[in-house]
Amino acid sequence: MQPPDRFDPWPEGIEPAVPIPGYANTFTHLPSQPLIRRPATRTEATGPFRLDRKLPCGDDNLAVPGPGRIALGQLIHIAGRVLDEDARPVPGAVVELWQANAAGRYFHPIDTRDAPLDANFIGSGRVLSDAEGRYGFFTIRPGAYPVPGPATWWRPPHVHFSVLGPASLSRLVTQMYFPGDPLNPLDRILMSVPDAAARERLVARLVPPAEVGLGWLGYAFDLVLRGRAATPAMP
Amino acid sequence: MSRPPLSQHTIGPFFPRSFVRPDDNDLARIGAGAPPSTRGERITLRGRVTREAGAACVNALVEAWQADAAGRFRHPADPAHALADPDFLGWGRAATDADGAFEFRSLMPGGYAEGNHHRAPHINLTVMASGLMRPLVTCLFFPDHPAENAGDPVLALVPPAARARLLARPEGLADGSRCFRFDLRLRGGATEETPFFCE
Ligand SMILES: [Fe+3]
Repeated sequence: MQPPDRFDPWPEGIEPAVPIPGYANTFTHLPSQPLIRRPATRTEATGPFRLDRKLPCGDDNLAVPGPGRIALGQLIHIAGRVLDEDARPVPGAVVELWQANAAGRYFHPIDTRDAPLDANFIGSGRVLSDAEGRYGFFTIRPGAYPVPGPATWWRPPHVHFSVLGPASLSRLVTQMYFPGDPLNPLDRILMSVPDAAARERLVARLVPPAEVGLGWLGYAFDLVLRGRAATPAMP
Repeated sequence: MSRPPLSQHTIGPFFPRSFVRPDDNDLARIGAGAPPSTRGERITLRGRVTREAGAACVNALVEAWQADAAGRFRHPADPAHALADPDFLGWGRAATDADGAFEFRSLMPGGYAEGNHHRAPHINLTVMASGLMRPLVTCLFFPDHPAENAGDPVLALVPPAARARLLARPEGLADGSRCFRFDLRLRGGATEETPFFCE
């Protein structure tokens, strides 16, 4: 694990603009007081060692949970690399993915929407990035789902990612979108990112069939964490 | 070559329950099934995450990160990492229940020297929840160390009237070890909100 030793401020336009009109929780959960700017001390520059022992990794096939059991929906493969801001691979990062099923419903007690569950799809997996920073998941394309409330809208198909990298400041929680979906430009959450190029980086890229085979529709998605410049890796 | 970092998004309301298992909230255990480190004072930390009007935040994710009992991190960014407690992870996560409550178990962290300053014993907490478009990070301190707290360079940046909100409160014993309470108020105005940090 190569820890970054430099954390630059967020470049302009990358952080979502909040609160988000129509997304009630951004009004009731976000602090009203400004965040207090503090220097990064050792606590922020460090992170847990060998976290895969705490959080077992290797659960990379959400679409086929057991022999002869295949989830409903378009079978897809999502793969990419975990990188830092210098485009260096980040090995040993814990990558968690969760998503709705093909009908747009989560396997979660809080999701009580009237859409079908799929007995063959739980929709969560966790892997460890390899020596080149690579990760990958076999899953299905999730369905869209509506956000309740007076200003309701439909969330486009999306996949949630949580990444635990080499330092506390590398912690990333984000979402991946699918290219060309007509709901993308209508999504209040995606559109809260001011910079168009930054939004585009949240959209996966279709991968030519020659690279994944015909069993799975392939998407590429790189997870770029905060932080630059290596200090020597721990022996 | 340079790559801009990916934009952050909310964790949403549906973070999988399977990603938070029993003992994931024990910072003193390096792995699933590993015994907790005994090199330090065992402590329990309990709190609630609330939002506007004091309502509970359900299914919020709280992650904790701290130094070992001697103030060291098992990480190359710590010059003394080779001396860090190998049986202590320093990291844990917990999901809030229907009442917004969470619990961690750990060892009392040690303070450490940082440049010309001294960091008082502290635990960094990161909160992720529906509506939070970035994780919220705060830092809790202990009432045991008033002199170190007074010299902590991070606590010094907090408006004086809000500093007491970063102090964990002793709350008796849990399983024979000291228990502390630390509530996180996400939104509640200048007089109630937990101070949160950015860098
Ligand atoms: Fe979602």
